[in-house]
Amino acid sequence: MTLSIKDLPQEDLFGPGNAGCRGCGAAIAGRQAMKALGPRTIVSIPASCMATLSGSNQRTAWQVPFYHTLFEIAPAVAAGIRAALDAQGIRDVNVVSWAGDAGTADIGFQSLSGAAERNDAIIHVCYDNEMYMNTNGQTGSQTPLYAITSNQRKGKQTCKKDMLAIMLAHGIGYAASASISHPLDLIAKLKKAAARRSFSYVHILTPCYRGWGIPTDQSVAVARKAVECGLWELYEVEDGVRRRTYEPSFIPVAEYLAPQGRFKNLTADKIQEMQDAVNRYYHREEGKA
Amino acid sequence: MSVMLLTGSEAAAYAAKLARIEVLSYYPITPAFPAMERISKFIEDGELNTEFVRVECDHSALAAALGAALAGSRTFTVSNSQGLLYMTEVMYHVAGLRQPIVMAVANRALSAPHSRFPEHGDAISQDASGWIQLFCENNQEILDTTLQAFKIAETCRLPVMVNYEGYIQSHTQEEVDVPEQKAVDALIPFNRIAALDVNNPQGINTVTGPEFYMDYKYHQNEAMEGALKVIPQVAREFAQVFGRDWQGLVEGYRMEDARHAVVAMGSLVSDARIVVDALRNEGRQVGLVKIRSFRPFPAAALRSMLSAVDMVTVLDKNIIFGAGGALGNDTKAALYGYRSLPVKSYICGLGGRSVGTREIRQMIDLAENRVEQRRDYEWFGL
Ligand SMILES: Cc1ncc(C[n+]2csc(CCOP(=O)(O)OP(=O)(O)O)c2C)c(N)n1
Repeated sequence: MTLSIKDLPQEDLFGPGNAGCRGCGAAIAGRQAMKALGPRTIVSIPASCMATLSGSNQRTAWQVPFYHTLFEIAPAVAAGIRAALDAQGIRDVNVVSWAGDAGTADIGFQSLSGAAERNDAIIHVCYDNEMYMNTNGQTGSQTPLYAITSNQRKGKQTCKKDMLAIMLAHGIGYAASASISHPLDLIAKLKKAAARRSFSYVHILTPCYRGWGIPTDQSVAVARKAVECGLWELYEVEDGVRRRTYEPSFIPVAEYLAPQGRFKNLTADKIQEMQDAVNRYYHREEGKA
Repeated sequence: MSVMLLTGSEAAAYAAKLARIEVLSYYPITPAFPAMERISKFIEDGELNTEFVRVECDHSALAAALGAALAGSRTFTVSNSQGLLYMTEVMYHVAGLRQPIVMAVANRALSAPHSRFPEHGDAISQDASGWIQLFCENNQEILDTTLQAFKIAETCRLPVMVNYEGYIQSHTQEEVDVPEQKAVDALIPFNRIAALDVNNPQGINTVTGPEFYMDYKYHQNEAMEGALKVIPQVAREFAQVFGRDWQGLVEGYRMEDARHAVVAMGSLVSDARIVVDALRNEGRQVGLVKIRSFRPFPAAALRSMLSAVDMVTVLDKNIIFGAGGALGNDTKAALYGYRSLPVKSYICGLGGRSVGTREIRQMIDLAENRVEQRRDYEWFGL
């Protein structure tokens, strides 16, 4: 069954009034995700842009319970919420820990791994802007190779840690990648995650204009190029069965990389290196873009 | 009621069971783990209907407990020493969010050097965290105080630590009167407050500017000050039902006509009672003030206990480096400006160094025989 935009609820359970920057990819992801998750959802977000933009003083941009938690603990908090709901016999509520790439893959990794191994009935969403944006854009494990960050002016020299592979190594039942450029795909995946009574992991690419050095109106377009060039594969693994959920058109990776300020130092051979890697991954002919 | 032979760990576990905790979360550490395992056994044996979150670290243990408390469940955890330090960030957060989590702490010395032996340094490290901290002198008090802790926590909307020393208390059996479930249910009924509730969505811990932060902190501190009334009130209610009166904040032992008061908390108190009895038999006018509530610090109650004595000796099983013992410092601060009294402060029993009746008596003698301490505090038993 393919989802249509007509099937989505009109109401926005996250979005209006949020304090994100123009074109904030994380906020777009939040709005899309809530179309899938619905009003009976509790969201816990650790220190990050998303926590900051979600509300201040007596305002909140969420129409569902939202708790801004500590940096390391969103999955553990979510596990505790789930335990309390179980103890009270409340069975129809989605419990979501929603963290940035640092709150997921770096400082938050221990509690995430714990919740995944225990197979707690929560959904962990990583919204990935590939840097520590709330503290000005430093390098983290999700920063891609060669990207310039606020504390690595010459670009990162190691690869992006493959979080989906790591999460799948926990033996979890559902894991998926997503992108704000493909909202129906993203929403369908979160619906699948919400329908399960076990741990699910969804990793969303959410460009950030400041960190990436792109115009504010290009977040969605750049995310789409990441998918179309093959660098950001959209797929899911459901009970061990892997499925690519969108076939990219394989535009040259240069079309994705070149417009971004964070890749401005990339030489032609480095771009070719990345193109070759994509070609190898998708078993495409050498040299062909 | 039935009298059982219980360790301090078991006493804490029985209290958690009697309180009908809904969610339990802990991460193993010595010497707290027997209390943890005992509760898990209650759950596995079907004697306790509690959700257990088996976390991967101490920090997550308190985080999971916090999530459960925010979602409205009565929640319990256990820890000590390195576990408590690892939790510290969450400790402050729980208190700021005013969540009534109860934690049993089997006090143990902090590393380095590595030690697994008792002292109060771990609890003292959390003195500014916003947790109510109660100290117990024996296993009966551990059980009774843990039960009272739920009522105190849920009344004040503040987290409570129930402290007892590793091994000396956690692993030593004593006779403990275990109350009837029905009587406990009547004393500590659970009034559910869920901050995270899909039927009443709220934003929790939104970014707070200078226009609000200080006011939150004021109210948090007012709640702590309010606990100075609630703790004795709960102790009285408890005494009415169970006949055991732990007195609330402080307890004076043989303080009538005392000239010299010994101030202490935790396991030192039960030994100090024996010493005071012996000294009284010798005609010496020595009394004991037990500090039961270390946070909030009962300055006014302590002052009135000490209103007629000529000198005070404070025993501390902790050291704040470069500043002295926590209880010594707080006692001096409480008295300052009210009475000009010699207050002798001893650091003793760190990392399991033995302090029994003999050592307590030696400190009392030292305090009486030496007019000036070499420093504001002295080390005893090096
Ligand atoms: C224990 C702790 N260490 C450091 C910080 C500072 N800090 C807050 S948010 C953040 C970066 C968040 O990065 P990420 O998770 O990628 O989310 P983003 O802000 O990029 O959306 C850091 C380092 C903190 N709040 N708590």
